[in-house]
Amino acid sequence: MSTPLVVAISVVAVVLAALGALSTALRRRIGTAHLVTTALLELLLVAQAVVATVALVGGHRPAELATFLAYLVSVVLLPVAGLLWARTEPTRWAGTVLGVAALAVAVMVWRLLDLWEVTRG
Amino acid sequence: MAEDTAQGPGRVLVAVYAVFALAAGARAAVQLAVQFDEAPLAYLLSALAAVVYLAATVGLARGGRGGRRTAVVACSVELLGVLVVGTLSVVDTAAFPDDTVWSGYGRGYGFIPLVLPVLGLLWLRHQAEEAAEQG
Repeated sequence: MSTPLVVAISVVAVVLAALGALSTALRRRIGTAHLVTTALLELLLVAQAVVATVALVGGHRPAELATFLAYLVSVVLLPVAGLLWARTEPTRWAGTVLGVAALAVAVMVWRLLDLWEVTRG
Repeated sequence: MAEDTAQGPGRVLVAVYAVFALAAGARAAVQLAVQFDEAPLAYLLSALAAVVYLAATVGLARGGRGGRRTAVVACSVELLGVLVVGTLSVVDTAAFPDDTVWSGYGRGYGFIPLVLPVLGLLWLRHQAEEAAEQG
């Protein structure tokens, strides 16, 4: 886990949540800006997962390894699930659905960082 | 429409419920598998919370009469759970050494567990009224 990456992920996630809220406020469906931001978020999350996997293989052991792995896998899937579900919503609420997924990602990466830094012995 | 409850604002509600089902489920699975002996009551409640969130998610996502009924039961159990467990965790801290989703009225999760069932029940009542109007 890298703290700068966690910060970057949080910033992009908050931007995505804001874009989602904006499209809901303007009574519009999600557009290209949402797609590009979601793609960027996903890219950063995959990079984070790769960094974490390399460190795990290298011998880093978070105390709550099972929880850490469950979170790591879930957080990578969240933007994809959020986007797929938002795309099938034909109203202005699509942006908020995507925003919920983005905010969940922002919370989860900080929780992941917590779990990462507590190691056994 | 059968899928009424999962349209518009309802879809946002389902998204939040899905996130909570995921978070509570992952947490409960790990707690039960790894450290069940430490606080059986708290961990069993975590698992119950996860099941309730999952039921609410499915009920809201499916919609229709059956879906709404499932969701009403799940949201009611959830509201009851967060109030009872919240109170117990404040009164008897020894039984709840580890936080569950419902400890301290959902304090660890921004009090969302307390607000969510209320929003869910309001939304379901609104949906039931619309369904009744349409006959």
